[in-house]
Amino acid sequence: MEEPRKIAGYARDALLKAGADKAQCLLAQSAKHEMNVDAGKLSLLRTTFDTRLALTALDGQRKGTSAGNQSDRAAVDRAVAECLGIARSSQPDEAHDIAASQPAATFKTGDEQPDLERMYFRLDELLQQIQVRHPKAVLRQAYVDFTHTRSYFANSNGVDFATHKGVYHGVLMFSSQEDGKVSSFNYTGFAVKDLDRPLLQCGSVDTLLRQSGEQTSTRPVHGKFVGDVIITPDCLGDTLYFLVRSLSDFAMVSGTSIYRDSLDQVIASPQLTIHSRPVAEEICDGYFVTGDGYAAANSTLLDKGVLKSFLLSLYGANKTGKTRSANDGSAWVIEPGTTSLEDMIKSVQRGVLMARFSGGSPSNNGDFSGVAKNSYLIEDGRITYPLSETMLSGNFVELLKDIRAVSTQRIDYGQAILPWVAASGVTISGK
Amino acid sequence: MPRHDLHRFSRHFSSYTELRVQENTNVGITFIKGNNTGNTRSVMGGVSARVYQDGSWGFSSSPDLDEPMVRSVIRAATDNATFMNSRVKKGQGNLPQVQATGHADFATHKPRASQKVLVDFVKEIDAHIAATYPGLSSRTVSLSVTDMEKTLLTSDGSSAYSLTPRSLIYVILTVHQDGEPVELFESFGGRGQFEDVFSSPSELYEGIARQHQHLMNKAQGVFASAGVQMCVLDAELAGILAHEAIGHTAEADLVLGGSVAGALLEQEVASPLVTLVDFAHTALGSTCPVPVYVDDEGTPAEDAVVIRDGVLKTFLHNKETAAHFGVAPAGNARAYQFSDEPLIRMRNTAILPGKSRLEDMIASVDDGYYLVKPGNGQADSTSEFMFSVPLGYEIKNGKLGRAIRETTISGVAFHMLKTVTMVSEDMKWMCAGMCGKKQMIPVGMGGPAIKCTISIGGR
Repeated sequence: MEEPRKIAGYARDALLKAGADKAQCLLAQSAKHEMNVDAGKLSLLRTTFDTRLALTALDGQRKGTSAGNQSDRAAVDRAVAECLGIARSSQPDEAHDIAASQPAATFKTGDEQPDLERMYFRLDELLQQIQVRHPKAVLRQAYVDFTHTRSYFANSNGVDFATHKGVYHGVLMFSSQEDGKVSSFNYTGFAVKDLDRPLLQCGSVDTLLRQSGEQTSTRPVHGKFVGDVIITPDCLGDTLYFLVRSLSDFAMVSGTSIYRDSLDQVIASPQLTIHSRPVAEEICDGYFVTGDGYAAANSTLLDKGVLKSFLLSLYGANKTGKTRSANDGSAWVIEPGTTSLEDMIKSVQRGVLMARFSGGSPSNNGDFSGVAKNSYLIEDGRITYPLSETMLSGNFVELLKDIRAVSTQRIDYGQAILPWVAASGVTISGK
Repeated sequence: MPRHDLHRFSRHFSSYTELRVQENTNVGITFIKGNNTGNTRSVMGGVSARVYQDGSWGFSSSPDLDEPMVRSVIRAATDNATFMNSRVKKGQGNLPQVQATGHADFATHKPRASQKVLVDFVKEIDAHIAATYPGLSSRTVSLSVTDMEKTLLTSDGSSAYSLTPRSLIYVILTVHQDGEPVELFESFGGRGQFEDVFSSPSELYEGIARQHQHLMNKAQGVFASAGVQMCVLDAELAGILAHEAIGHTAEADLVLGGSVAGALLEQEVASPLVTLVDFAHTALGSTCPVPVYVDDEGTPAEDAVVIRDGVLKTFLHNKETAAHFGVAPAGNARAYQFSDEPLIRMRNTAILPGKSRLEDMIASVDDGYYLVKPGNGQADSTSEFMFSVPLGYEIKNGKLGRAIRETTISGVAFHMLKTVTMVSEDMKWMCAGMCGKKQMIPVGMGGPAIKCTISIGGR
């Protein structure tokens, strides 16, 4: 097999030779080792090898992309011809471009090979610890994988990046049973560089399993009221989704983003500062190169509630006349606040500790509604009981402004570091 | 047509083995406000093997299909099963033996359209919308075409070939009302390659006109009143209800993981008006949106009647859970990519039609809602479900009233289905469904309209 870097360079050059004005190639080779648990028992060891060859050609400002997972010379030649054909079938757009020249670089993080025996040991240990600490819990499905990827990005402006990345991921989905009653399922995930710690100590695993055991008996709230919510770190990602979607290419190019003219304006509470830190040491599952082929850099999305950056690709930036973002988003790090979670709960007269939100995709204007899952009612400053059949509705644009506290504590998921956030003004309705 | 003869590899099987060669081809073309933002084609394929030893599984895959690599994949999967079995030692014994052969090729017999033809087709729809509806603030038209081609051989002697294509056009229309965006989404198309599903852009215009009228109504719409309400759920919502709220809770792996359905077999869980079937390939005389004839474990696919006349009758199984529960598998084990292991998946899940007319159902509601379109949905091991509803109308004194803004409905399925008092005589399939469960996979969802009591979000 040819050296991957040479294949990427060959594909780029072949696109130019075939007539492309500009060309780029991403070649990624990955190996994944994944150990699975089903219905509480170790079940499957899965080893997959894959290749991704993604080509982009610009021809008269017409753009085409093709992708495949064969990388022998004949396959690359076919992909080159196909990619150029696709470009020539496109409509031209002046906004299409490829990344500008940057110094060549090689990025490396993590191990190259998994420790299979340790993966087995940690999963087996997790099952035993759950039996002891959380005897009501049933691990419906869980896996730990180690994925190693070698990626090469080359374009006709001289971009030449190599990335070697190895990382372990854990994903758990579980519920609890007691006296014939079943809790709602819950799930969480994390990324780690190594398996030095028990899995139960990673991310929010231990906390969520404990809460699951408390949730076999639930009640709806009575009636309807407007109250506070404390959004847990596991649920905060869902809340961020609206903000991220509104700042990204599709919403900005289509003109449906509510924040399209809000750069450097206050769009959230001054308590809220959000960074995207894909190349920070504290994020073990980040990335070094953007989808466009720029070296990724850490950035600040919101600084004390002020919008500091959109999440625009090169195309999105060219199309909207705004600045390309320093990264592709994710790797979120939200700065801790000054209120402890305990004090946050004490400050709520009537509201919900919102641990999972099962809701529809929010409207472009921020309206949302959905069901509070794995969540608790808070009354007079204390958690009273776990909820079921309780709906939450409100508006994310308003909710971001109505954040009144961010917790001092945060959960480190490896992919993100997130606190608890308290906000007001959410409609809570039960039976 | 089958391109791979896998039988020569059977001599390398030393335990129960599934060997699958698969290729997924996807085409995506997008126009946002007239800008051709995406034009892509991808082909992802390879070989995988899954091996079973006494309750433990090993799996391996590679994109390379040459003979040494296929042998290597079989060996790696066997080694993985041995690794797990030597440690876990479940001692579960053998899987049920089944044998099936199948050939299901839904490839078009027409000349294939070039990428340029596809781009021009989407562009023409976009231009029609721009010219016909100048009041829109944004529009998106995209084409998504997927061909899933599988060749399977199992050590039990099953062999199957399938090419299952799906071609969809998505249209999103947006208006700004009082400075805020209001949008409505619609999908067109279904099973088949592009040439068999779409012939002319103008065929979509009537549907787009309806979509536009609904959007105009929605822009002037009101928020639903939060709380428990009498509702008529149109067919598409009944379909997603069947899939999310009932189908998932009846998947045997979820039952083993604690689903509330585990304790409800042979019990009344719904109104006697409700019969719910996971169809394998043919429903009411017609081929389903996602026909499965032989599943990815080599089991011949048969319909699974989950609820008959309100009584929970069966779970959905793969070979392993079928053996656990002492029943026969019905072909629900499916994988999305070549590198994915088969999981228990629904195929084409639907509530069967009843005897009422939709008009009579609406007329019978004094104060409630007619909910027309579903967005995303999710269900729980408790059978509590949630679906977003991007389109609906008030019902006042038996007549449709104002449109409502985006909302969400929820309930506990096994309670809510007991409130069903009317089921319409017609039936409609949703052909654009994708179900997420470790892997994504295309599914069909269908049903008639149903009248029931349900919680609705709002203000």
